[in-house]
Amino acid sequence: MKIITTIILFFSLNAVISQTSVSGIVTDESNTPIPGANVYLDGTYDGGSTDLNGKFEFNTSETGAQTLIVSFLSFESYMLTKDVKDLSGVTIKLKEDINSLGSVILNAGTFSAGDNSEAAVLTPLDIVTTAGAAGDYIGAFQTLPGTSTVAEDGRLFVRGGDANETNIYIDGLQVFQPFSPSANNLPTRGRFSPFLFKGTNFSTGGYSAEYGNALSSVLLLNTIDEPEEEKTELQFINVGLGGGNTQKWGKNSFSFNAFYLNLKPYQNIVDQRVDWINPYESISGESVYRHQFDNGLLKVYGGFTYSDFELNQKDINVPQGINFYLKNRNLYLNSSYQGDLGNDWSIISGVSFANDNNAIAIDNMDVDSADNSFHLKLKFRKRYSNRFKINYGVEQYLTNYQEAASSPDFETFESDYTSNTTAVFTEANIFLSKKFAFQTGIRGSYNSLIQDYKVSPRVSLAYKISENSQLSLAYGDFYQLPGQSVLKYETELEQEKSSHYIANYLYQKNGRMFRAETYYKTYEDLIKYSTEMPQFDSQFNNNGEGFAAGLDLFWRDNRSINNLEYWVTYSYLNTERDYQNFEGKATPNFAAAHNLSVVGKYFKEEWKSMISATYNFASGRPYDNPNSSGFLAEKTKSFNSLNLSWAYLISPQKILYVSASNVLGADNIFNYQYSNTPDVDGQFARTAIRQPADRFFIVGFFWTISDNKNDNQLDNL
Amino acid sequence: MKTLITIITILSLHFAFGQSTYEKGMTQAFELWQEKKTDDAANLFERIARAEKENWIPFYYAAQVHITASFNSKDAKEIESRLIKAQDLVNEAKTFSDTNAEVLILEAMLNTAYVVYNPSVYGMTHSPKVDKLYLQAKQLEPENPRAILYHAEWQMGAAKFWGKDPKAFCPEVEKAILYFEKESSDVPFYPQWGMNQIERIQANCKS
Repeated sequence: MKIITTIILFFSLNAVISQTSVSGIVTDESNTPIPGANVYLDGTYDGGSTDLNGKFEFNTSETGAQTLIVSFLSFESYMLTKDVKDLSGVTIKLKEDINSLGSVILNAGTFSAGDNSEAAVLTPLDIVTTAGAAGDYIGAFQTLPGTSTVAEDGRLFVRGGDANETNIYIDGLQVFQPFSPSANNLPTRGRFSPFLFKGTNFSTGGYSAEYGNALSSVLLLNTIDEPEEEKTELQFINVGLGGGNTQKWGKNSFSFNAFYLNLKPYQNIVDQRVDWINPYESISGESVYRHQFDNGLLKVYGGFTYSDFELNQKDINVPQGINFYLKNRNLYLNSSYQGDLGNDWSIISGVSFANDNNAIAIDNMDVDSADNSFHLKLKFRKRYSNRFKINYGVEQYLTNYQEAASSPDFETFESDYTSNTTAVFTEANIFLSKKFAFQTGIRGSYNSLIQDYKVSPRVSLAYKISENSQLSLAYGDFYQLPGQSVLKYETELEQEKSSHYIANYLYQKNGRMFRAETYYKTYEDLIKYSTEMPQFDSQFNNNGEGFAAGLDLFWRDNRSINNLEYWVTYSYLNTERDYQNFEGKATPNFAAAHNLSVVGKYFKEEWKSMISATYNFASGRPYDNPNSSGFLAEKTKSFNSLNLSWAYLISPQKILYVSASNVLGADNIFNYQYSNTPDVDGQFARTAIRQPADRFFIVGFFWTISDNKNDNQLDNL
Repeated sequence: MKTLITIITILSLHFAFGQSTYEKGMTQAFELWQEKKTDDAANLFERIARAEKENWIPFYYAAQVHITASFNSKDAKEIESRLIKAQDLVNEAKTFSDTNAEVLILEAMLNTAYVVYNPSVYGMTHSPKVDKLYLQAKQLEPENPRAILYHAEWQMGAAKFWGKDPKAFCPEVEKAILYFEKESSDVPFYPQWGMNQIERIQANCKS
């Protein structure tokens, strides 16, 4: 017994005596000492922090091979396994963690919004509280630079491209009919409700090889992964009623919402320039189911809309007007799975399907159409390290379109087509340091209908020039299939092409952001046709071309004035193109040279109110005057609109919301329609295409019911 | 018999020795924290957590040091990186103890820190989380004084904003005082803080 005690004592004494010193210095890659780093031997209590000179020193009773770990905020942890005796006077260089704050961002062409990421230009609240957006998810994006104000359309016109050149994706899968149908010169709205989405990326050019079939722009929407809580939300608005509910159980959650919109009562009170027979009426519903697996997430989204309206459209050539009736039924399903496959591989896959039916009557002609479209995507991502990742993907698009037009004047005319596109893409994302990153990819696509094969390269790089500023460049080739209105008559065509060259400067500091981007864009192989509108006897070719060049500026400041957030955007656009039935190169009607938006939001605590104002200005838009010689040579007067909104929080869960668009009542003119035949003086008479009403008012009451008494719908207004 | 005693003695000695390293380490970390050596304290708590494995307490304190430090900082970058670090540590604490009222209370404070730091960006997204976390904590431990006290403080803030009387939550504060007095734990370093904040929070109940 004595012997054992002695031995134990001896050993512990020995342990005390044989302490080894571990010491060294910790620096970053440019040899600047890092103070405050945590240095320790793995699995032991032995360690210390580095001092102001990056030096550390501590004693250990451990012997033999040990692992020294060094960790510090925003650096990658460092490990060194050596015999303890060799762990004195070591020099350790930590690598910056490129996933941490302050890393360079690949952002040429791209606006990130609605999430809390560093480069986000809009917060979740902004997307929906922007005055004039009136709860339309798309509205807030129209205040970003690079977009043109085309108030009579409502869709996104990006950098000299028309609205068809922008594609919208939900969870990486295409939305085939993102906008509600509308008649000529009446603005449309996005179909989806804002509250199912979080982070959004809006690219005005130079986007990733993952996305194709869009010449100008992509808008990427992501649904919420996991709702915060169970709740019921009700909306009572002067133009409709809505409600939604979210349930959570185990690893599942389900949300749905429905909205009934009827403009009739409103239009009975407020005078309209449009001669409505049956004002716009729609019923829509959306639902999302989510299931969390151990290593993945499944989301299933479904949306349904039914809408109809009838009006008498003014036309200078038809004194009694043209009767226009439309009934639309749209079903959209989207299911996606993202999961971890182990070994740093992950999978993102999904399928979307849309069924769209239109019944249109134009005077005595009936046009019925049905569109069924699929998009399937399978993407794998391998993460070799924090600094090097590769995506591989394959996609299949399938569209079947059928149309039947009938009128007493001619026999029923049927047209249909089936289009298959197969695409493959791969893209590498490489961070050479926290300051320098690039992304390079390539996309190949083949379309069976027009039997056309295209390969498009994409490159984007970013370099951080100082702590608060960076430069980025992007280049890419982009292709797009001819539109539905062309494909139904002609398939001996090629894809249209554009190339983007983008340079971007970004400055960010303490709640202030300045972004300047200049670009040059070429268009080739644009579709031309010989008649006023595409029709069965038109001659089609790919001989169109064009260019767009411009400068986009964005300034946002959340700091200078307490409770006030504002942003100012200015876009200069110089574009000409020869396409459709143009006589030659000209600036199209939708492209104004100067666009300016000023958006401000002020939260007044004493009034429990959020007051927002948006001012939009666009310089005159080109129009064609047959009384003068040039083509599209004249310009309308400039566009002005001041929109105001006021959200008053009655109680934490009840909100009263009032908004008015164009409060100053500017009589904006978008274009002119000229008579087909000259009058007795040889002059062509005209009518102006104006706003359907000078102002639009919304009054709403939003009520949230949940266990958590502080949640409300302010972020959805 | 002798052998047995010896083994037991050695084992318990060993145990006592192990225990005391933990206690020594934790005590030292608290001292560093008190001396305002924030990073040294956080580093030591984290080292203990990594060496101990399967013990949520040192992770909890490492996170708390960062959260408290973020309240005292005005540097946006420092605040954000501390809060990200704190969330990582809270997540690690949760892997060892996923239904733990104390960890949930700490996470509520972490989310409060985000809201305080930048209300316009984080107010809308993080405020509901704060409420939810306090409610969860109270469900797990209806008599946890920290959950009751800090939730009451959060609700008082909201009441003031809505122009309502924050005094409505004063009975909650009284309840918290009662539970603070009853509070005891056999687990060394089990969270017991918060009692010294009562006076500050009770100021809302006067006048």
